[in-house]
Amino acid sequence: MEQVASWFLWLYQETGINLPIVYDSFDRKRFAEGFLTTVWLSLVCLVFSVVIGIVGAWLQGSRLVWTRRLVQGYIQFFRNTPPLVQMYFFFFALGNLLPTVENEFGFQQPMLGNFAWAAISLSFFAGAFNVEIFRSGIEAVPKATVEAAEALGYNRLQAYLHVVLPLAFRVCLPALNNNLVNLVKTTTLAYAIAVPELLYVSNQVWSDNVNVPEMMTILLFIYVGLVGILVWAMNRWERAMKVPGYGA
Amino acid sequence: MSRRQASLQRPTTDLPVLIAPSAGSTGRTAGRDSGCGAPPRLAYWHGFLLLAALLLSAGVAEAQSEPGRAGILETMIKWTPLLFEGFLFNILISFMAMAIGTVAGGFLGIWQISLLPSVRRGSWLVTQFFRNAPWLVLLFFCMFLLPFQIEIFGLVVPLPDWLKATFGLALPVMANVSEIVRGAIQSLPSGQWESAESLAFTRRQTLWMIILPQCVKRMLPPWMNLYAILTMATVLASVVGVSEVMTLTGEVLSAEGGRTDLLVPFYSYILVWFFIYCYPIARWTVYLERRFAVNA
Amino acid sequence: MTRMMQGLLLAGVLALGLSAGDAQADLAAAKERGKLIVGVKADYKPYGYRDPSGAIVGIEPDLAKDVADKLGLELELVPVVSSNRMQFLEQGKIDLMIATMTDRPDRREVVWIVEPNYYSSGTNVLASKKVGFKQWEDLRDKPICGIQGAFYNKKTQTEYGAEIVAFKGTAEVLTALKQGRCLGFVYDDSFIVSKLGDDEWADFEMPLPTIDDAPWGLAVQLGDQAFHDIMHEMIVNWHKSGRIIELEKKYGVNNTPFALAMHEKHKNM
Repeated sequence: MEQVASWFLWLYQETGINLPIVYDSFDRKRFAEGFLTTVWLSLVCLVFSVVIGIVGAWLQGSRLVWTRRLVQGYIQFFRNTPPLVQMYFFFFALGNLLPTVENEFGFQQPMLGNFAWAAISLSFFAGAFNVEIFRSGIEAVPKATVEAAEALGYNRLQAYLHVVLPLAFRVCLPALNNNLVNLVKTTTLAYAIAVPELLYVSNQVWSDNVNVPEMMTILLFIYVGLVGILVWAMNRWERAMKVPGYGA
Repeated sequence: MSRRQASLQRPTTDLPVLIAPSAGSTGRTAGRDSGCGAPPRLAYWHGFLLLAALLLSAGVAEAQSEPGRAGILETMIKWTPLLFEGFLFNILISFMAMAIGTVAGGFLGIWQISLLPSVRRGSWLVTQFFRNAPWLVLLFFCMFLLPFQIEIFGLVVPLPDWLKATFGLALPVMANVSEIVRGAIQSLPSGQWESAESLAFTRRQTLWMIILPQCVKRMLPPWMNLYAILTMATVLASVVGVSEVMTLTGEVLSAEGGRTDLLVPFYSYILVWFFIYCYPIARWTVYLERRFAVNA
Repeated sequence: MTRMMQGLLLAGVLALGLSAGDAQADLAAAKERGKLIVGVKADYKPYGYRDPSGAIVGIEPDLAKDVADKLGLELELVPVVSSNRMQFLEQGKIDLMIATMTDRPDRREVVWIVEPNYYSSGTNVLASKKVGFKQWEDLRDKPICGIQGAFYNKKTQTEYGAEIVAFKGTAEVLTALKQGRCLGFVYDDSFIVSKLGDDEWADFEMPLPTIDDAPWGLAVQLGDQAFHDIMHEMIVNWHKSGRIIELEKKYGVNNTPFALAMHEKHKNM
């Protein structure tokens, strides 16, 4: 480790390629923490947004007019406004309306921190798209299939969970795949409310060291790698679940 | 689509055989033909919702503000022309990035199903790379690594930063369009290719005359989706210093002396603008989706 | 369509190829285009901020105007932020940078900071009186707000153990501070002093001794000797004539000791 660090220091002195995230222990630590924060934030948002999508798509088929309208209002609001502004709105506006709690230093602070708000706003943002995606998948399920399920005595929820959803899932997997990839990339927005994720720490590192091109390249490769893993897994899954008879 | 059609034709029945006609029944009670999935039409309550949100935020802010200063509404009106200019700039950037991205992505997508392995793999790699890179990082790249002007045959063409941001946004759009095209082509039943072949169509003819026309309706909704995402991503240009609406909002807030009561109303104001612009596009998407739908 | 695509690719390749070469935006280029492009802050009242017409005004834009007048060129102001100002100068997007930048040795390796320094400020903390910070060591493990791109974030973090929560602009930070999301705001003392004059911040104080009182440097591209010499002369003249002090008064800032001292030092030269 010591040798690697000194080699990168040498690299900087000789070539001007400055990678303090390798040779400087402070930068290395915060960069590693930033990476973990990004991964964690992505995972939390992935799970919640899919749950929101499934629940939302189910509620959209509800018999109650106002339930459907509420879901529709939610989708339209989150789909048609920029996530960056949403995050500001959640964090500064809604965050301020919640009750405050006493922090460890004995002062009042808002109940939810910036990580929590980032997770909430990103999940709701991606969830709004997921509801639509699941809906289109559900619409693609032939009516006859649903009727067949009913004929077998399934009720609405059962038919949804056991027949419609598994089929719809296969149909909308490419779109879902796309949206989840977008979500992971959108986690970079959390930097705006000072969540110490990868972009945020990179920003700090390049402000302190004036090494934008180096940090940019590293950032790009890390994200491409991270998303690549997700895409690879989703593609495998997509192939495994492909409905026979479709595709050139 | 088939389901929506079915629900319209569904007879009113109490038989438990049919799943509760969720879409059909409400469409009927509301006196409209909107299916369960399709968003209801822009109606009075949309306006109420928006208005309520604005009033709430303005009210909260007003309560926090102290007397003896310029009112919030007054301040907002004062800065509206400047902010609106910035907003138009966002729209312009979104148009240009979408145009560039769509043309480039269309070809990239078709190359992705090319029979030549090198073309197929190459375009796949390019697509995956730009699709997997965060927009913000690509923006930074274009911002810092493109020169401020380029010289072509002795002609100096300036590259202002908003144009660089446009290129930066066009790259992920290109990759996403490429995936949309590939996905749409591959979602068609393989029988289409086989029957065209049996009718002696060449591969190119099959693609342009049989496959792609059928793909349009499949591609349009995700394409419009992408445009919505792009429009809302234009605010990312604020991060790299383009004077678009988000940058200007920050600068306005600071010019007002960092008054904390202004943050909420100003950001909700921007949210409402984007909503007013993007919502009709979303409605139009649904309309097109319906028009192009093949009634099965 | 295919031709269009090819053209696009060609343009892309050209752009990438050309980006390797260093853009030249020296004084000669500025004269050729008849316009001087200066990077200034647009979110740092009163040093650089927007007026309702969208124009950038403030102390630094006024200084930039002086330079353009002296050169007989038109002036174009480009808003910059801390995290991109040096890159813009380096790549030739701006000819001159007057953007509240602290003069530091590592920055001198990237851009040419012109002597003497035109302004100065130190680092301090804006905090609620209730918090009662007494010394910098009190910041340990406390959430402290900062601005992305400010150099003292790292120092506050490593030397005093504070937990820095950095936002993009001052508007966001001030809101976060008011909401209690952080216990203090580490920033330029010149900014904090101007805030404390505001009724809204009556419950707040600047409790710590100012550290790192460091001069601000305006900068030109490395190697642009002619422009450097002109700017050197300009700054000396600003101090000599008391221009800086005059601008501070114009924008309602208390005269800083640095500006007064520099005027004192240069006026009889």
